[in-house]
Amino acid sequence: MRRMRSIGVLVMVLLLLTTVLYAGGQREEAKPTVTVLWALYDGLTEEYRAELQSAFMAAHPDINLDIVPVPWDQMYDRITTSLAGGRPPEVSVIGTRWALEFMELDAIVPMEDYVSQATIDNILPGTKEAVIEGRLMGLPVAAGARILAINTEITDKVPATMEEMRAEALRVTTDDRYGLIMPGRKHTELTDFAYYLYAAGGDFFEMEPDGTYGRSTVNSAAGVKALEFMVQLATEDEVVPPGFMATTRMEAHPVFYSGRAGYVMIGAWVESALADAGATFDVKYAQIPGFEGTPSTPLVITDSLVIFKDAANKEAAGKFIDFFYQDEWKARFDELIGFPPVTASAAELPQFQTPLYEALNEAAVTAKPWPLMEGFAEVTDIVWDAVTAAYLGQATPQAALDDAARQIDRMRGF
Amino acid sequence: MGASTVSLRSRYWNKEAQLAYLLMLPAVVLLLSLMVYPIAYVFMMSLYRTDRLGRLQEFAGMAAYLEVFSTRVFWETTVRTAVWTVLAVVVKAVLGMIIALVLNVEYTGRRTARMLFIIPWASSVPISAMLWKWVYDHEFGLLNQTLRATGIWTNPPVWLGAPTSAFISTIWVDIWVGVPFMALIFLAGMQAISRDLYESGDIDGANATQKFVHITIPGIRHLILIATMLSSLWTFNDFNTVFILTKGGPGTSTEILITAVYKHGFEWLRFSRAAVMAVVTFVILTMLSLIYARMFFRQERDL
Repeated sequence: MRRMRSIGVLVMVLLLLTTVLYAGGQREEAKPTVTVLWALYDGLTEEYRAELQSAFMAAHPDINLDIVPVPWDQMYDRITTSLAGGRPPEVSVIGTRWALEFMELDAIVPMEDYVSQATIDNILPGTKEAVIEGRLMGLPVAAGARILAINTEITDKVPATMEEMRAEALRVTTDDRYGLIMPGRKHTELTDFAYYLYAAGGDFFEMEPDGTYGRSTVNSAAGVKALEFMVQLATEDEVVPPGFMATTRMEAHPVFYSGRAGYVMIGAWVESALADAGATFDVKYAQIPGFEGTPSTPLVITDSLVIFKDAANKEAAGKFIDFFYQDEWKARFDELIGFPPVTASAAELPQFQTPLYEALNEAAVTAKPWPLMEGFAEVTDIVWDAVTAAYLGQATPQAALDDAARQIDRMRGF
Repeated sequence: MGASTVSLRSRYWNKEAQLAYLLMLPAVVLLLSLMVYPIAYVFMMSLYRTDRLGRLQEFAGMAAYLEVFSTRVFWETTVRTAVWTVLAVVVKAVLGMIIALVLNVEYTGRRTARMLFIIPWASSVPISAMLWKWVYDHEFGLLNQTLRATGIWTNPPVWLGAPTSAFISTIWVDIWVGVPFMALIFLAGMQAISRDLYESGDIDGANATQKFVHITIPGIRHLILIATMLSSLWTFNDFNTVFILTKGGPGTSTEILITAVYKHGFEWLRFSRAAVMAVVTFVILTMLSLIYARMFFRQERDL
C-alpha cells in the first residue's frame, strides 16, 4: 500500500514537472517565429546570415527569426514538400519563374499586404518581374543578366560572335587548360542551353496573340543551331573540361576559378566566387555574344522573396523583409553575392560603380528572362534530356529537340 | 450453429482477449495511420486527377495509368530497375558469401577484419554515396588520380558522365554498402552449423567444395532466402545512392522507379503519375515478398 502511494506521488510529481516544462515551452512558442528559407548563393557567408538573424531579433525582441540555409538545387523540392505537408515557411527565396505555380496553388500572398510601401517604392521598377495579374507577388532579391567572364592570362580576346568565341577557345585549349566551361550534368537550371538558344535568336515557345505561351519552339532552326554548336564545342572541338558530363554548373565553374579556362558564361557572383577561390589572375567582363548576324541576347535571372499564405506569422515576416531591405543589410547582401542592387538607394552606393556592374547593366538592356509559366521545371528536365542525348550521340540535335518539343507539347496539352 | 457461435465468442471475446485487444489498439491505430492510410491514399491519387500539391480533384479512372504505361521511358525505367536489383543482389550475395567464408576461418586479426567489414553498412548511405561521388570525380577523384598515377589508365573515363559507366559506378556503390549485411547474416548462419557435420564430412573424405555445397549451403539456406529478400526490397528502393550520385542521369540512364516517383512527384508536381509508379513499385515488391514468403515457409515445413 505504501509502495503504491510512493508510486502515485512519483507519478504526480512527474506530471507536474511535465506540465510546468510544457507551459514554459508554450510561453516561448507564443513568440512568433519567422522561418526564412535562405538560398545559398555563391559568396554569401554564414557570418552574414548569423549577423542578420541576430540584428533583426535585437531590433524586434518580440519575434524569433530562423534563417535556414538551403542549397539552390534543393530549394524547389524543399518548398514544394513543405507546401504539400501544409507547413510552409513564412518567407522563402524562389526563382521568380516559380511564382506562377505557387500562385496557381494559392500558396503565396501579394507583398503589398505585409511589406511597407516605403520598401516597395525603393525597389527599381525594372527588377519587379514578379508582378503577376497586377499584383506584386514577390520582391526581387537578386536580379542580374548573365555575362561572359574572360581569364586575361589565357586570352585577351573579347569575342563579337559565338563563332569567334569558338575559334579563340580552340586556339587556347591545351592539355591542362580549356577554352570554356560547359556544365553537362542535369541540374535545376537549364542556363547553358538558354545562353546558346537566345544567342541564336531562338526561344522556348511561340507567343500566342493573347500573350500566352503556345507550342514549344526548342526544335526551331535556332534551337538546333544552338545545340549543334554546343555538341561541336564539347565533343568535337573538345574545348571544355573532359569531365563536363558529370558536372553541374556549381561543380563546373571552379575550373574557371582555378585559372584553367579562358571563358565562362556566368552571373554576377563571379567576382565573389573568384575571391573565395583565391584567384590571382585578372578577369575581364563582356557580353555573351550572339551568333553571326544575331544580336547579343543574354539570359536574365531574377530571384524573389515571397511570403506564403499558410504561414503562421505573415505580419512578422513583413517586418523581417522591411528590415532586410535596408541598405545596411541588402546592399551588403548584393555585394557578397555580386548581383547588382535591386533598390534605388543601394544603386547609388560607390561599391556598385565597377566594371563588373557596368557589364551587368549593359547586358540588362538586351537580356531576356525565362518563360514565366507553370510546369517549366518539367520543360527544363525534358530539354536537359535532349541536350544529354545529343552530347552522348544517342540522337542528332535535330532529332533530340524534335522529341523534346513533342514531349513538351503533349505535356502541356497541345 | 448457436453452440459454435458461443464457443467462438468465448474464445475471441473473453477477458484475456479483451485485454489483448486493448493493448494492441495503440499499435493498430499507429499502423493504420502511418502505413495503411498513406498506401490507400497513393492508390486514390493514382485514380484521381490531383492538383500540384497532391490533393484529390476529380475521379479520372485509369487515365494516369494509361498515360504512364504509354511512355517508353517508364518501361525502360522498370526494366532497368529489375536489372539493377537482380545484378546488385546477386553480386552482394556472392561477395557476401565469400567474405563470410573468409571471416569464418580461424586466424589472427579475425575480430578486426569483422569490424572493418561492417563499416560500409554501419555508415549512413547518403554519406557513403557522397564519398563515392568524390572518389569518382573525373578531375580530382581518388580513383582517376590513382589510375593516372600508377599508369594503369592514363585517360580514365568520366565515371558518372556516360550511361554504362554511370550505371556500373552507381550499382557498385549500392553493392559496397550492402555486402556487409549479407556477409554478417551468412556468417551468423555458418557459425550455427554444428562442427560435427564437417567432421563427419572429413571422415567420409569430402573435399572443401563438397562440404560447402552439401553442408554449408543447406545449413544457411533459409538465411540466404531472408537476406536476399530483404536486400532485394532495399535495393529496389535505393533512392539515396542513385539520387546523390547521378540524379538518374546522364539523361535517364540510371533512373530507377523510386527516383522516377520522386521526380514526377516532387520536382514536377505530377502526383497522379508519381502515384501510378508508386503503385507499380508496391505491386512488384508485394509479389516478390509473397514468392519469398511462400518459399521460406515451404522450406520451414520441410525442415
